[in-house]
Amino acid sequence: MASPLPPGLAPSEIAFLCEMELITIVPRQKLESIDLLSGTTPTLRPPRRENVPLWLALLLKKQRRANIVPPPWLHPDSLQDIIHFETKINPEGWAPPPPPSARADGRGNAQRTNRPGTTPLSAPFLSSCTSDAPTGAIPYHWFELAEMLLAHAADDVTSSAEVRGLLRDLQEVRSAKLRAIPAQLEAGIDGVMSLRGVGAMELAESRGLISGVIEGVRKIGASAELSRREEEEQRGDADMDNEASDDDGMGF
Amino acid sequence: MSYYDVDAILTDGEKVPCTFELEVPYLGHLNNAPSQVLKPGTPLTLPLWLAELLALASSGDSSPPLTLNIPPCLGTAVLSALKADPRAVPLRDQSVHLYGVGVRMLDLFDEKELSEVLRRTWTVRAGDVGLHARKADEGGLGGQQEEFLRGLEEWERKLFRRAHEGVKGAKEWTERVKK
Repeated sequence: MASPLPPGLAPSEIAFLCEMELITIVPRQKLESIDLLSGTTPTLRPPRRENVPLWLALLLKKQRRANIVPPPWLHPDSLQDIIHFETKINPEGWAPPPPPSARADGRGNAQRTNRPGTTPLSAPFLSSCTSDAPTGAIPYHWFELAEMLLAHAADDVTSSAEVRGLLRDLQEVRSAKLRAIPAQLEAGIDGVMSLRGVGAMELAESRGLISGVIEGVRKIGASAELSRREEEEQRGDADMDNEASDDDGMGF
Repeated sequence: MSYYDVDAILTDGEKVPCTFELEVPYLGHLNNAPSQVLKPGTPLTLPLWLAELLALASSGDSSPPLTLNIPPCLGTAVLSALKADPRAVPLRDQSVHLYGVGVRMLDLFDEKELSEVLRRTWTVRAGDVGLHARKADEGGLGGQQEEFLRGLEEWERKLFRRAHEGVKGAKEWTERVKK
């Protein structure tokens, strides 16, 4: 029996995963570190900034025990840069995801955190939403995180009204691009469509459409594909026969 | 294709034009003349499942008892209209299961052009279906939208539903998180 749920993650599940992302807060009260299944939270001593999971940050924010430091990419200037990239510089592609995190070593060189030999980090263990995240690149969970911050910590976000408007613009631009993917299939599936840099919620939104379109293209092309394969197989057989006879000739 | 797939069953019931090659007694009722025999060369429209069965059935070296023709919903007139502008043709008026019948025809006939046109139609219209699915709740596109959505064929309706569900889910979550 097939699962009644549609394939992929539901929006609420994506939001749940997003709440594991680390985010920077400025605590207003002391809080000893808590032992959690996912690890221990840092000891909070105001006014020292600490990185905590988003769910804890939102909880503390609602109780007025902390202020959230929004990630740098949520600044209006950074969002404007991304929109400029998406509309003017590369109107077909997606803004690239944030670069791999790097850390300065003692000699003033930057080194990748994900070095060979060490355990590679991926979301949510990359600090893509803390205050030291890079600007001008939106991480995998950008949409959910921005929505949650604007809903619960709008007073901590720099010029939240402007940010809200810019996020709407960005969302429209990118969803129009996702919708344009079916039209790229018009000339045939000759390449792999790139979804690098597409966020989790955007994928959940468009998964039904894109997978449905590809399924349809597959069904329409199925018989043509079958005859092409048969032809190829026959040609392969003929080649094999030729080779076999060549071998015979060389034997004598 | 699942055994319980209602759309597949309905596609099986679509009528296709065909011609009998043999004289068949007791089948005159297919031609609305129950008292006569079915003469060779009689044009008939039969459901796809029966026509396919008879067109592929052949005993030994004899020719099959029936020749199958491409149904009018995939005829030259419709194909050239689709080639001109896939968006402007209300596919539902041609056949409710246009793509389904088309795929079955492609299994039976080796029609390169038909497959090309169908794929182009599907991809071009799918882009529009996605747009309408996104804007459906906002009601922004007006009468033109109604016209287009009415002309959607069964596969496209299914696609519209899937696309709309995704957009709706994300929108519902965004509303909920604000509370």
